[in-house]
Amino acid sequence: MIPFFPKEGCAMSFKTSRREFLSAGIMLPVAGAASKFDLLQSPDKPDPKLPKSPIKLEHRTLGNTGLKVTSVGFGCMITSDPSVIERAADIGINYFDTARGYQHGNNERMVGAALGAKRKNVILSTKSAADNKAGLLQDLDTSLSELKTDYVDIWYLHSKDTPAAIHDDMIEAQQIARQQGKIRFAGMSTHALPKLSPWTVDKKAFDVVLTIYNFTVDPKLEEAIATVAKTGTGVVAMKIMAGGPHARRPDQPLNPIMEREGAMLSALKWVLHRPNISTTIPSMTDMDQLDENLRAMSEKFSPIDDKILAAHLDRIAPVYCRFCGECDGACKKGLQVADTLRILTYADGYGQFALARERFNELPLRHATSRCAACTECTVKCPHGVRVSERITRAQELFA
Amino acid sequence: MKLFCWLVASLLLSIAAQAQNYLDCHFVPGWEQSGSKRQYTPDNLFDYRDGAAEGYLVFSFARMQGIDCKSGAITLSIDVSDMTDADSAYGMFAANRDPSQPIAKIGMGAQLLPQSLLFAKGKYFVEIVETDGSTNSNQTAALQAFAAKIEPLLEGRTTPPEELSWFPTENQVSARLVPESVLGLKILKRGYVAKYTQGQAFIVVEQSSESAAEVMNKLRARFEGLTPLLLGDEAFQVKAPYLDGVCVFRKGKVIAGYTNLSDAAEAAAQAAKLLVRIP
Repeated sequence: MIPFFPKEGCAMSFKTSRREFLSAGIMLPVAGAASKFDLLQSPDKPDPKLPKSPIKLEHRTLGNTGLKVTSVGFGCMITSDPSVIERAADIGINYFDTARGYQHGNNERMVGAALGAKRKNVILSTKSAADNKAGLLQDLDTSLSELKTDYVDIWYLHSKDTPAAIHDDMIEAQQIARQQGKIRFAGMSTHALPKLSPWTVDKKAFDVVLTIYNFTVDPKLEEAIATVAKTGTGVVAMKIMAGGPHARRPDQPLNPIMEREGAMLSALKWVLHRPNISTTIPSMTDMDQLDENLRAMSEKFSPIDDKILAAHLDRIAPVYCRFCGECDGACKKGLQVADTLRILTYADGYGQFALARERFNELPLRHATSRCAACTECTVKCPHGVRVSERITRAQELFA
Repeated sequence: MKLFCWLVASLLLSIAAQAQNYLDCHFVPGWEQSGSKRQYTPDNLFDYRDGAAEGYLVFSFARMQGIDCKSGAITLSIDVSDMTDADSAYGMFAANRDPSQPIAKIGMGAQLLPQSLLFAKGKYFVEIVETDGSTNSNQTAALQAFAAKIEPLLEGRTTPPEELSWFPTENQVSARLVPESVLGLKILKRGYVAKYTQGQAFIVVEQSSESAAEVMNKLRARFEGLTPLLLGDEAFQVKAPYLDGVCVFRKGKVIAGYTNLSDAAEAAAQAAKLLVRIP
């Protein structure tokens, strides 16, 4: 059973461009667009226990588990103050995710303390990265102790990206845990679902799959998600902000722009309007993020959201190095183009100027001395439209 | 002149080489390297730490170098992370240590458990962890032996961030750096939180008195029903959802206070004790 069906008009070919991929949202009705920016401009509003404006919670069925989860869940990984989790649970968010390995167990401890008596009202998942049965079961017992609960609803094998990384005794550990009543459902988290989906479908070992998914991903991932969802596997989406405030990876240099213009909400709404996704686990560190994310359950993905996200893709195209390797060795001056662009991203994308300068100075000296202006024509032609010489020049201006 | 340049270059190379030599399994007799050394940066730490990588990135992670050492059936994984500055390194340590366990004196602080040793020194955060899946072995001797060799090779501060010393120590359970959104409030961008058997205290140091005053204005707008207080340069107390009894004051560019106490007056009383400890 597919847990969530797209609205009529949302269906689209998987072979579309990224821009077209986003533009599917234009076919959806506009809802709340007039008030969108008014709401975004009041981040310092009073913070009562419950929001003054009514929050519409949207629940979806998590595949064949039958669990009714709020479409916006809560990724607890970097939450440092338990009050945010408490408030989310009071409001009605009912899916919370953590992992044994987060902060050497402190995250589970904090989540357990924050949920307290509310634990019985929520769906709780954790993960173990252990690679054998004994280690997994030991981790589970520790997780239950730290989370102050007798069971977790979903227990994931943590970050498995190839079938070879999943051994039979790991699946056996999940089965044992289920028989013992320590878990309700078995899951797997992955960043490479296209590699795993055929194996997952064949193995029928998992009730839930937790996968990376956002508006910048390759359409192949859509196919993989559809494949597992057709078998009744529940699909939970993570990394939905595509380089939100915490995913500071150089291949996701969207953070400052997205945070400033409220595009985080658009990114979340984009995921929620796509088919086959039951719930999401955005990271949240404060009440403002929580309030903003809650809106994704009551506001439709609109043409305005589509424009915001498309603008981000367009805006980053001239600077967004995809590390495809096409430029390797292309600079006749011997400059390491991709490395230089990556380093520049540290400064421009993440505000880590000192780190960027340090890295730049580790490059061969020619990166500081060979100026693009000395060449009559740039021999590096980025197939994705990155303005290479302009970016290299900026790196030299900043760091050389 | 050439000789001088050669000497300088040699010195720099020597320093660089020393910096890279804090990972060696032969530091402790009986241990051998297993596999090759590893190195991670913000762009690929995810490959090693999975989702936990985010926990490093929020503490200004710059790079990690690591090695696996094997002795018989036991494998110790040693990872040294450059967290850009000492405050972030200590913050990373405090976020990862078990607050119910004591802090040992290695570098700025350490935690020794039967299968793991964490410590921070200067801008470095060091993790030495048994990784073979054994659940009951005690490796404290080996962990301490490796730490004793590695710690002197890492340059930098051996004292925790000064702000932590401002917190009263009586009944303190833990103290840590919160890299963003102190108390779950975005306007308190980065600061320190100390938990007590009752309630918690916080300290946020702004760039200037003016910017701190602006933050105070935003805080006042956020809480309903607050009562102004004569404490520091400005202060208020309030009973608030999730934070219970709250008192917030400003002293120059420092915003601090107490929360999660039974009532606001109690928070104010504790805040007054904190105020006098802030220089």
